[in-house]
Amino acid sequence: MGVFVFLPLVLPFTAWPIARLAEQRLHPRTATRLLTGVAAVMAACSTVSLGLLMVVGTAQLPGNPLPDGWSDPEVREAVPYDEVAGKLAIPALIAVLLACGRTGWRHGRVRLRAHRALAGLPGTEVAVLPDEVPYAYALPGGRRDRVVVTTGMLSCLEPPERRALFAHERAHLVARHHRFLLAVQLAARANPFLRPLRTAVSYTTERWADEDAAQAVGSRRTVACAIGKAALVSRGTPVGTLAGLAAPGPVPRRVTALLGPVPVMRSWPSVFTSVGLAAWGAAAGTVVSALSSANSAVTMAFILYAATPL
Amino acid sequence: MTDQQRPRRGQGELEALVLSALREADGPKSAGWVQERLGGDLAYTTVITILTRLLAKGAVTRERAGRSFAWTPTSDQAGLAAHKMYKVLDGESDREAVLASFVTSLEPDDERLLRELLGQAKSTGRKQGEGED
Repeated sequence: MGVFVFLPLVLPFTAWPIARLAEQRLHPRTATRLLTGVAAVMAACSTVSLGLLMVVGTAQLPGNPLPDGWSDPEVREAVPYDEVAGKLAIPALIAVLLACGRTGWRHGRVRLRAHRALAGLPGTEVAVLPDEVPYAYALPGGRRDRVVVTTGMLSCLEPPERRALFAHERAHLVARHHRFLLAVQLAARANPFLRPLRTAVSYTTERWADEDAAQAVGSRRTVACAIGKAALVSRGTPVGTLAGLAAPGPVPRRVTALLGPVPVMRSWPSVFTSVGLAAWGAAAGTVVSALSSANSAVTMAFILYAATPL
Repeated sequence: MTDQQRPRRGQGELEALVLSALREADGPKSAGWVQERLGGDLAYTTVITILTRLLAKGAVTRERAGRSFAWTPTSDQAGLAAHKMYKVLDGESDREAVLASFVTSLEPDDERLLRELLGQAKSTGRKQGEGED
């Protein structure tokens, strides 16, 4: 397997160009699916590679619970720089598993607590909370998917803009955007090089919901105004805290996109455009990543099988 | 436990029950009254615990009446839900990972840019008249 075992760890670099270009040049739905798919596959491959390296690393440690045969030089030769790589892989894999577990657990807990907070209210789809703090979000799962919105948010919007807001949140629920978001969250934990994809997907899901809302209410300008007004009243509230992003932030970009033309829905961009090149690059990176980790896993299985005294 | 056949009710649901019982009352009521009102399948201590929790959330107030307290509701179910939701959101630093909220925070530059964009949108909207809506 040689150097192939390391490839899935660094190949996420190949997805950086598409993470950057997709949000402007692709339809948000295509971009979300493409980026999430790439992130999920690359994260899985990277974790498999880490696992294989960890086996080699653990087998070197005295007193390890693995079969003695696994610490054979023959096994170690399969991995270049086995001493360092193997030992680094142990804490790395533990960190990945802990981080992913924590992310999944938090995800479940926030949703559970949010549903619990709404327990005393009638089970309507839209839950309006009497709170001056303006916020609105889609809450999936529970007995039914819900849209949570405060009176503070509703009071700053005109009726058509409120419809746009509800359409936006419903679009999140209908398209199950929380699954895409959780997938890229976990991927970013599994391999930090996948973080740009997480940022990109959290933006493209919003754009996707914006476009669906624009279609539902029949006016892109109304959705743009609703987002703009909501953002202006939301500033300084604890709900809006997001780590500082490079200017201009996501909200002005969303408004600009809505004030511009409708994005074209293409199945796959031509290779002769920059975005096409980036998409093909990411696809190639994903395939190489998958092949490398599969190759490494199979090779390692054979080597370990041969090394295990039966 | 006598109510083992009963499906276990969640904390939130119990708080909602106690609060609605108090809201139906015509004045401050004791914990014993609440317990009776709810059909007596809750232990007295449970009722006290829930009332104390509601007090911490600002959903009820209490005043001393003899040796115990008399409880008065100050907010309705929706107000209680709003309070709890605020707690959930306030306690999660990376909630945007979980809940896709409608808008995210604005940097100072974003705000200026956004106001310009909205101004543009309004002026083009006026030019188009009712064309789009």
